[in-house]
Amino acid sequence: MAHFHIQDLTFSYPGGSRPVLDGIHLTIAPGEYVVLCGQSGSGKTTLLRHLKTVLTPHGRRSGTILFNGLPLEQTGQREQAAKIGYVMQNPDDQIVTGKVWHELSFGLESLGVDRNTMRLRVAEMASYFGIQDWFHRDVDTLSGGQKQLLNLAAIMAAQPEVLILDEPTSQLDPIAASDFLATVRKINRELGTTILMTEHRLEDIFHAADRVVVMEDGRILANDAPRAVCYQLYRQNSPMFPALPTPARAFYAAGGTGACPLTVREGRSWLTAALETVTRSQPEPEPVPEQGEPALRLKDLWFRYEKDSPDVLKGLSFTVPKGALFAIVGGNGAGKSTALKAACGICKPYRGKVEVFGQELKKYSAGRLFRENLAMLPQDPKSLFVKDSVGEELEEMDASREEISSVAEDCQLTSLLNAHPHDLSGGEQQRLALAKALLTKPRLLLLDEPTKGLDSFYKRKLAGILTGLTKSGVTVVMVSHDVEFCAEYADLVSMFFDGQIMTTNTPRRFFGQNSFYTTAANRMSRCVFQNAVTVEDVVSLYRENTR
Amino acid sequence: MRHDAFSKYHPLTNFLFFLGAIGFSMVIQHPAYLALSFAAGCCYCFALEGRKTGRLLLGLIPLFLLVAAVNPLFNTRGETVLTVVFGRNYTLEALVYGMVVAGMLVNMLVWFRCYSAVLTSDKFICLFGRILPSLSLLLVMVLRLIPNLGRKARQISGARRSIGKGLGAQSTRREKAADGIQILSALTGWALEGGIVAGDSMRSRGYGTARRTSFQLYRFTPGDMALIALMGALAAGVLACGGTQADFTPVISIHPVTWGLAFFGIFLFLPSALHLQEAIRWHISISRI
Repeated sequence: MAHFHIQDLTFSYPGGSRPVLDGIHLTIAPGEYVVLCGQSGSGKTTLLRHLKTVLTPHGRRSGTILFNGLPLEQTGQREQAAKIGYVMQNPDDQIVTGKVWHELSFGLESLGVDRNTMRLRVAEMASYFGIQDWFHRDVDTLSGGQKQLLNLAAIMAAQPEVLILDEPTSQLDPIAASDFLATVRKINRELGTTILMTEHRLEDIFHAADRVVVMEDGRILANDAPRAVCYQLYRQNSPMFPALPTPARAFYAAGGTGACPLTVREGRSWLTAALETVTRSQPEPEPVPEQGEPALRLKDLWFRYEKDSPDVLKGLSFTVPKGALFAIVGGNGAGKSTALKAACGICKPYRGKVEVFGQELKKYSAGRLFRENLAMLPQDPKSLFVKDSVGEELEEMDASREEISSVAEDCQLTSLLNAHPHDLSGGEQQRLALAKALLTKPRLLLLDEPTKGLDSFYKRKLAGILTGLTKSGVTVVMVSHDVEFCAEYADLVSMFFDGQIMTTNTPRRFFGQNSFYTTAANRMSRCVFQNAVTVEDVVSLYRENTR
Repeated sequence: MRHDAFSKYHPLTNFLFFLGAIGFSMVIQHPAYLALSFAAGCCYCFALEGRKTGRLLLGLIPLFLLVAAVNPLFNTRGETVLTVVFGRNYTLEALVYGMVVAGMLVNMLVWFRCYSAVLTSDKFICLFGRILPSLSLLLVMVLRLIPNLGRKARQISGARRSIGKGLGAQSTRREKAADGIQILSALTGWALEGGIVAGDSMRSRGYGTARRTSFQLYRFTPGDMALIALMGALAAGVLACGGTQADFTPVISIHPVTWGLAFFGIFLFLPSALHLQEAIRWHISISRI
């Protein structure tokens, strides 16, 4: 018997003209690992929320949802709470209590489980998820990845049959994200828990999924095994195609037919098999750009947060030429964000010098520095929002009407001027924050993780805006975990490690040299090509060699 | 925190001890008892916090002197006039009484310091969560919300500064107020949004579907029972023996010391003794390794 059986589900929000879910038919069998994907706003979250009565949104609805053969409404609240686990996007907000042990036991306390069973279950969960070392900690001292793992463990403590996850890793860095996804995989494999998950990072989960469901405008576009879905999206030339794993994209773009590779390993065997006998022409790495005038220069910065804490910046030096898109990559907690803060004077280094457009940072008055010179976007765009509508947010920046409308146009916000900032999707929020910063007319823009939580569609939009800015002479410095994004769009890439910049180079030279910290396209193709870092590189080289 | 044997007992045991220690310190004015309580308090505080105790005591000296010296200015009763201040008698009895009051105050502060090191917020909640599960959950959530909002406020003001919307050194008071209101309104929105997610998360995990139970991190052991019985017996001994009265004005009259003082001392030194016992045991077991 199917776990969930959704028949002809149609739903629209009150006042909404167009249904958000439109005739959904979906069956989920016990033990399945199902990935639900689609662009932002395609109705994924709305669909997931329908699978638990307490989370179901209000609105007009038709169709039925059966859970274990019974209509979901007829399943008791307590049974639903125990059997259907639901992990949400934001790691922070879904934590209720202040201590790790208390959070783990919260669900069991609510279900009224007796004390001895609770002790055992909590102990089991803490051990299974490797939480025992931080069992007594305050939740606020945990990292984002640990918090999300705690949320997962707290839900698993109730021993659910189905686990629903709504973009659980969108706020996590890549390493924490792949740890989390590996744990989800382990739960599915070792405990047989049914998994239904929405996710942007298809690269990490496509190969593990039993089935992929693609949604578009509230309808199910595809519902099949991962490889078949890849082929279908390619055939339909769907806007979801660029979100697919790199090996699959490269395979179809290069004209491959049949079953596509999904992992780097499979991609490698495809390339080596196809290119065994051909001469391999190597692409030239891009020429090193001439060192123009520097927009930002950091010289031997040293910084630490407290007197007795370790140094975060240890002799950090780098120079950003004018008009470049300069990306800084590196591990988590290495101090990349601190480097940005030091560059705009929010952190005061105890040694070293920062020059902005040839003038020392200290010599700028705060008013002049952040007006027409420099602006920084924080990691969480929401921290810039204080008004009730997008229009008011933009007007707050003391700019003329023409400037506002032209920036709103550039950042594609014109249709959203009346919306509440907190109601926007992640990508739209990022663009609103960017628009606010742009209204100060900066010549140097610092961005902290601008692609965090964005799907591939919004990432391309953002990239378009950023390259437009650099063309018009604005210098952009961004800190990012997103190697694919940096490889594709940056002019220069730097590796940040141990409080300093280890190396700076053009993307192709930079990622071409790395063997771990590089793009999937490069890892997949390094056995046959050198310096191919993007899917386009791989595809054009493949074509050249198979002609 | 350092390892401390008494802190490892059940929160109820901890709580009852401090109820006794702080309760006695609040009512007994007998100098011998005060001195003993001070000694025991400092001893245990040192066991818990080590050198930091020195800093605490250093801060308490001026407080003690101030309260002691100020009391005779308001209280002029007493027979032995030392001097005349502002036309009022400054008497020896009032000065002594001031010292006693200051001593009680100092003792309470020292014991409260120990209390906060031993009975952390989660122990407190464990203690009252049993009686009032929903209220204690509310308390937990509020305790988490307050520092969170502070952190968010700093995040918002830092982020706004970096787009030239923050306060500078030359901002006027009006600008500061306007900025504060902006941040406050942003925080409200943020808190409401977070509240909705937290509410969803709670209901999704079955909040309100059954009678709440509470997870107990701490176990009530026979050792706890024995310690509580011992504390009860000692406290009863103090009360039964009496002899804790002391009057200071107009004439100093202090009741001679009884066996009660010994019981009182044993009671207050219990945590320190347990601490010492554990430390010794550990040293012995280490030396065996």
